[in-house]
Amino acid sequence: MIRYTFFAAIILVILSGCKEQVESPDKIDSYPVILPDYVGVTIPASIAPLNFTFENEKFEKIDVAIKGKKSGEIHIQDKEVAQFPIKDWSNLLEANKGSEITVTVSLKSDGKWRQHKAFSIYISEFPIDYGLAYRLIAPGYEVYSKMGIYQRDLSSFDQKAIYENTMVPGSCVNCHAFNQNDPATMSLHVRGEHGATMLQIDGKMELYKTKTDSTIASCVYPYWHPSGDYIAYSVNQTKQGFHERHNERIEVFDEASDVVVYDVKKNQLLTSSLLKTDNFETFPVFSPDGRTLYFCSSKKFDIQSGYQNIKYSLCKISFDPETGNFGSVIDTIISSETTGKSISFPRPSFDGKYLMYTQSDYGNFSIWHKEADLYLLNLLDGTSRRMDEVNSDDTESFHDWSSNSRWFVFSSRRGDGLYTRPYIASIDNEGNISKPFLLPQKDPRYYDTSLYSFNVPEFIKAPVDVNARELEKKLLSKERIQMQLR
Amino acid sequence: MIKLLKQFNWLLSLLFGVAVFLFFAFYYQYHLHYQEQLQLFLFTPYYWSDLMSRPGGLADYLGTFFTQFYYYSWSGALIISILLVLLQLGIKKLCNVWADRSLIILPFTFVPSIIIWGILCDENYLLSALIAVLLPLGAALLHLKIKSPVFRIIYIFLALPLLYWLSGGVFWIFGLLCILSEWLYFKQLTKFQWGILFVIVIGCILLPPYVASIFIQYPLRRLWWGISYHRYPVVSPYPLLALWSSIIIIPLLFAFIKGKISRVKNVTFLSTSGIIMVSLFAFFMVKNLADWQKEEIMAYDYYIRTQDWQKIIRMANHKDPNTPLSVTCLNLALSKDGSMGNSMFRYYQNGPEGLLPTFQRDFTSPLMSGEVYYHLGFLNTSMRYAFEAMEALPDYKKSSRAMLRIAEINLLNGEYKVAEKYLKILQHTLFYSKQAEQMLECLGNEQKINANPQWSLLKKYRMKDDFLFSENEKDQMLGLLFVNNQSNKMAFEYLIAYTLLTKDLDHFVQYFPLGKNLGYKEIPAHYQEALLFYWINTGHDVSSLPWSIDPAVVQNYINFAKALASGANVNALSGGFSQTYWYYLQFAGGDPLNYSQNPIY
Repeated sequence: MIRYTFFAAIILVILSGCKEQVESPDKIDSYPVILPDYVGVTIPASIAPLNFTFENEKFEKIDVAIKGKKSGEIHIQDKEVAQFPIKDWSNLLEANKGSEITVTVSLKSDGKWRQHKAFSIYISEFPIDYGLAYRLIAPGYEVYSKMGIYQRDLSSFDQKAIYENTMVPGSCVNCHAFNQNDPATMSLHVRGEHGATMLQIDGKMELYKTKTDSTIASCVYPYWHPSGDYIAYSVNQTKQGFHERHNERIEVFDEASDVVVYDVKKNQLLTSSLLKTDNFETFPVFSPDGRTLYFCSSKKFDIQSGYQNIKYSLCKISFDPETGNFGSVIDTIISSETTGKSISFPRPSFDGKYLMYTQSDYGNFSIWHKEADLYLLNLLDGTSRRMDEVNSDDTESFHDWSSNSRWFVFSSRRGDGLYTRPYIASIDNEGNISKPFLLPQKDPRYYDTSLYSFNVPEFIKAPVDVNARELEKKLLSKERIQMQLR
Repeated sequence: MIKLLKQFNWLLSLLFGVAVFLFFAFYYQYHLHYQEQLQLFLFTPYYWSDLMSRPGGLADYLGTFFTQFYYYSWSGALIISILLVLLQLGIKKLCNVWADRSLIILPFTFVPSIIIWGILCDENYLLSALIAVLLPLGAALLHLKIKSPVFRIIYIFLALPLLYWLSGGVFWIFGLLCILSEWLYFKQLTKFQWGILFVIVIGCILLPPYVASIFIQYPLRRLWWGISYHRYPVVSPYPLLALWSSIIIIPLLFAFIKGKISRVKNVTFLSTSGIIMVSLFAFFMVKNLADWQKEEIMAYDYYIRTQDWQKIIRMANHKDPNTPLSVTCLNLALSKDGSMGNSMFRYYQNGPEGLLPTFQRDFTSPLMSGEVYYHLGFLNTSMRYAFEAMEALPDYKKSSRAMLRIAEINLLNGEYKVAEKYLKILQHTLFYSKQAEQMLECLGNEQKINANPQWSLLKKYRMKDDFLFSENEKDQMLGLLFVNNQSNKMAFEYLIAYTLLTKDLDHFVQYFPLGKNLGYKEIPAHYQEALLFYWINTGHDVSSLPWSIDPAVVQNYINFAKALASGANVNALSGGFSQTYWYYLQFAGGDPLNYSQNPIY
């Protein structure tokens, strides 16, 4: 007995030696400047641990004590980064759903501890979708290297490749889209010698050739109709220009663009003379009830001399899902002539309350516009506002709603000015928007070393199940279903 | 000699190593510099885990680790020579065990090393291809040390899949070498054990690539061949089959004839003949596989990268550059040397493509032409070219050189956050960390940036007003750049050179006066030639020349015109006039100039 007690005492001494007590720290009356900035953010209870570190402060040891307002606590110490055990973290968030946790950070340097003012992280009552699907690609010009479409489980750090272009060398993969975040109905596009548009509905994969003799280009920017029977596309003759002034890089513009809707069951592309004009029409999306098609439209200008005049308005046209017919009138919801700005990526929330869009000075490829910000159109009262809660001095661009319309993910270049990172924020019943948080990574320094941009982050309700070998085989075969124009 | 070899048979290995070292250090060094810049080895856990997450990961990791030492040609050459000697020693060991310690065999143990030496002369075969064969060979030699047959079978069972992950597609030679060792050396296995061994070897060779294909998104063909042996993923590296098979065939061949070898009496003659044969094989192998034209272009590339303009001009004086990229490098060197207007037509010119090559979606041309844009002050275009070159690398290895340039331009552009990102990555390299540290100190510090004369100049030259760069209107781009800063002499000279190379003399005459405040003491020779030609061929008289043209130039032109009028052809004129602009106008760079007025000749 004495021997056991002795061993137990030794083990206790060893264990206690693992975590040093933060004794008599110097109190600092400010919040810590942590990387990523998670101070005061609102998160879903199922999110992976918000691991963090300090970018500009040197320290020998970091001590983080987290206490739930309702119950539970976590205490960790490390030399470089604060990394929380997933299970403990998950239990803590679950126990404090609808409440908050308080994070106290202490740093030790030169043998002395200093303690920052404790900050809160709010745990939303609203759940978030299973994960995100995004493309990882270097923010390049015309040439592309290794890239792929990946899925990330939001409750852990697990990232899996859905499809990587290493499978068919020289190919480019983009335009992944899911029907209201349901991966059972999805599409993606592969460009290159073996290019095709892949549709996978309830596990059945088909490859399509979307360019027809009567349309100006292949179908891009897909958006599924809520019924799953249609996909809205635009067909764009896209070109790139390269800025020579030092703080600009790339301009992507369309020389021509139209909007079409693909009838999945009848293999027919539907269009209307109103959507196929000399003007530019692009970025079509369906309303949640499937009876309205929103899109962006701009007058045509000469690219070289007048590219800065190309400004897109937000428009809509009615759509009849029963017949596949379009209305006879186009309504301009937000006119570029009124705002003097250009709209891209309209995305209605699934509850029908809002439509989020990106606004920049001109053009439609807002990711290369530092002034691009997110805006929120209230569809119930028609008012629109800049989302200052989430915007930054740098680019905000693509965005997507969670299934319950309580969360949205958006891409931003605020981190380093070039490499796009995904941020998530919440919106409550009254339209209040929380401070966004960067998608957490196991090592919080990940984004500083990654040479990939997170492109087109989309929520997914469940894991995406694409057989990459089957896709490879189908891509390498010549078999394609030709889309037909009605 | 043979006595000497008997006592010191390692001497041949040493001599071979020295030969390899001398070749790569002094005759083929620019290939090494070229390879070094097309990868980015990082001392980080991420880099390790990224490469180790796929078959052949360790060979790839070690390959890129050692390739970074190509930064200095001598260290790169030393590494290659050591690895080739290790391969030879491995083969020698196998021959000793399977056959005999005969001096007749010794020269032939060099054959696989010579084959890979020749293969490595192709810049797209990577060092990992060599390391990948050393791993299974080393494992096969370890197999010889295990005395128990059962343990040997267990070892093979465990090592084969592991070797697939470590060395990639070549892992199968380990299985084959082990079977042959069992058959030729150990001779201990029972029939049952042989059965087990065959099942294990066949299973462990067939299964790993298929299993890997479930988790790794590469074509099955590449999982069989190996991912990292060749820079291009679409290339099946067939020449490596010669190497792989030689590793098995050479020892096997001597194992079969070891009885005959032991009975040979004239060992001295046969071994000397063997040495001569293998030496000749090495000579012809390397002679035929080394690409000296590429080596020359890579030399030009190396010297524009290191900004050794005089070296480039000396190279051109020694041998006229005749490829578009080497002409591009020479023109840049002439411009930086201040002798473009006087000398550019003394060398071969291939038109405007030799001045500012059209953008190519590859990893070589943009790196070189990006240097021209950098020195001109087209910083964004230079950065774009560097980025594109880095992204175009088919093995996704990134490029240390390109990343340094991208970081530098972001620093000059005031994009400090993204510059910092690249520089912090470069801090994890061996040979670029110092430059990265120096640049990091400049972040946000304009005073420090401006203290660098080249940076200070480039910041003055870069565009202040925006426009979209047009590949098809390079003269307009150069004009805009010069108008942006009229002290940018290089922009002026490139603009003038562009008009001369495109034979656009109307614009040449229009732009020529823009250079009057650029400090020319006299009109450069080629400009004089062009002005004189234009003046005379637009119906004017020599006596009314509005420019100060050297009378010798006028006389030279009269001689040229007379010779041409008398029917002299390109060969007849090349002796006296090939270094004039008129000769270029008439015979080079596309169609001769066709003026509406009849020329005087």
